[in-house]
Amino acid sequence: MQDERKPLLSLKNVKKTYTTGGGELKALGDVTFDIFPKEFVSIVGPSGCGKTTLLKIIAGLLPKSSGEIIIDKEDFDISREVGFVFQKPLLLHWRKVIDNVLLPIEILKKDRKAMEERARYLLALVGLEGFEDRYPGELSGGMQQRVSIARALVHDPKLLLMDEPFGALDAITRERLNIELLRIWQETGKTILFVTHGINEAVFLSDRVIVLSARPSRMIESLDIELPRPRQQEVRVQPEFGAYALEIYKSLEIG
Amino acid sequence: MKRKPTLLHKALPKLLYIVSAIALWQALIMIFKVKEFVVPSPISVFQSLFSKELVAENTWWVHIRTTLVEIAVSFSLTALVGFFLALFISWSKLLRGIFMPVIAVLNSLPKIALAPLFLIWLGYGFTANVTIAIIVAFFPVVLNTIAGLNSVDEDLLDLIRYLNASKLQIFLKIRIPNSLPYIFSGLKVSATMTVVGVIVGEFVASSQGLGFLIKDSQAMMNTPPMFAALFLISAMGLGLFALIDFLERALMPWNTEKTGSAT
Repeated sequence: MQDERKPLLSLKNVKKTYTTGGGELKALGDVTFDIFPKEFVSIVGPSGCGKTTLLKIIAGLLPKSSGEIIIDKEDFDISREVGFVFQKPLLLHWRKVIDNVLLPIEILKKDRKAMEERARYLLALVGLEGFEDRYPGELSGGMQQRVSIARALVHDPKLLLMDEPFGALDAITRERLNIELLRIWQETGKTILFVTHGINEAVFLSDRVIVLSARPSRMIESLDIELPRPRQQEVRVQPEFGAYALEIYKSLEIG
Repeated sequence: MKRKPTLLHKALPKLLYIVSAIALWQALIMIFKVKEFVVPSPISVFQSLFSKELVAENTWWVHIRTTLVEIAVSFSLTALVGFFLALFISWSKLLRGIFMPVIAVLNSLPKIALAPLFLIWLGYGFTANVTIAIIVAFFPVVLNTIAGLNSVDEDLLDLIRYLNASKLQIFLKIRIPNSLPYIFSGLKVSATMTVVGVIVGEFVASSQGLGFLIKDSQAMMNTPPMFAALFLISAMGLGLFALIDFLERALMPWNTEKTGSAT
């Protein structure tokens, strides 16, 4: 539906093969898709299908074996334009919450003083006002992951890569954070690429769900989710919601 | 918030413990009529500290000061040299590959047995003593720091690699803070060994200091000052340990509940 717009990120025939002791392991068979500005795209697929690998390739943490990744403009500096939220919160336990959020600012050598206000704003945005001076060890798992979302946003990247960020949390916390993530997405206007193995989570959050097959993975389906926004919990019980989820289940079975 | 126990509250049990141990010691000496040159009574040990006569050709203060300065200098050097050497070795795989085997071989040497050699190479006194103490004490700091610098979760490194962090940044922001608990547990082991090293140095290569005083008094079978020196040496060791413990708490406020190091 957004095809008339220019994509923020295009993947063309991206492949990844690991050479292991026992031979070659094809992680990514052939992955091609576009992501458009301000879009919320989820990638679902069976475990071990290379979803994390794909995100790491986009973030420049892993080299691709072949294919192309095209980014909208020439001066797109991945380290400045990408925010990464990992499966684990990965907070530095020796830094206070606010200093954890400001870590990318220090690494990118931006002016820390000037960004402190932004860090406080982001902590408020993720619902952690008043926790700035706590240490990560004092926070629950859900709160730690909120801090890591604020950290991924602090240098104002265009693209947010999220690798099963709520996978380790309990269902209640996860569903609450889903709603908050949508609110954060709408307030910040970021493009989000969200990896999950939760089909319902993907349908609930996304404009579009990309379904990958088992290894060596290729794209089976790209499904537009045309549920109205802003979405609240009630969306989950709408018949259309179930229909989308069922379609993804089916394509996973075929794949 | 928990209420902080008062200083008296914390110190009282320890004080009682020490007082009763000394009382028991005095009682045993009196009951069994132990000869003074075998084990002196606590009273004569205490008196020996204040006797007007010189001990081992010098005043107590000269011996105490010598040992204190030697401990302070050799421990500071141990900590600094150990930390920077570990940093250097951990900087790259290549450096690790070259230097780790050397460190392992040197560490397996009985370092105290080298003391007489340093006497030959460096002569009597301060330099030889400090060198011996450093050789004896510095491996725990080096090995612990290397272990700490390299025990970083790979995912944690991914976190700042995608931001294009430089190697220096990775060390400053991740590896070094991550290694602090390891460094402190290494320092605690090294502190004890520094004291051992200084005393051994004074046994073989000195004419001053509490180690020399022990050796010199032994020749006279004059045990009270030997015991007094022993207590002074352990007090110095405990003081150094307490200083490190204090620094550890001050530098790692996030570690309040679980003191991360293996003490």
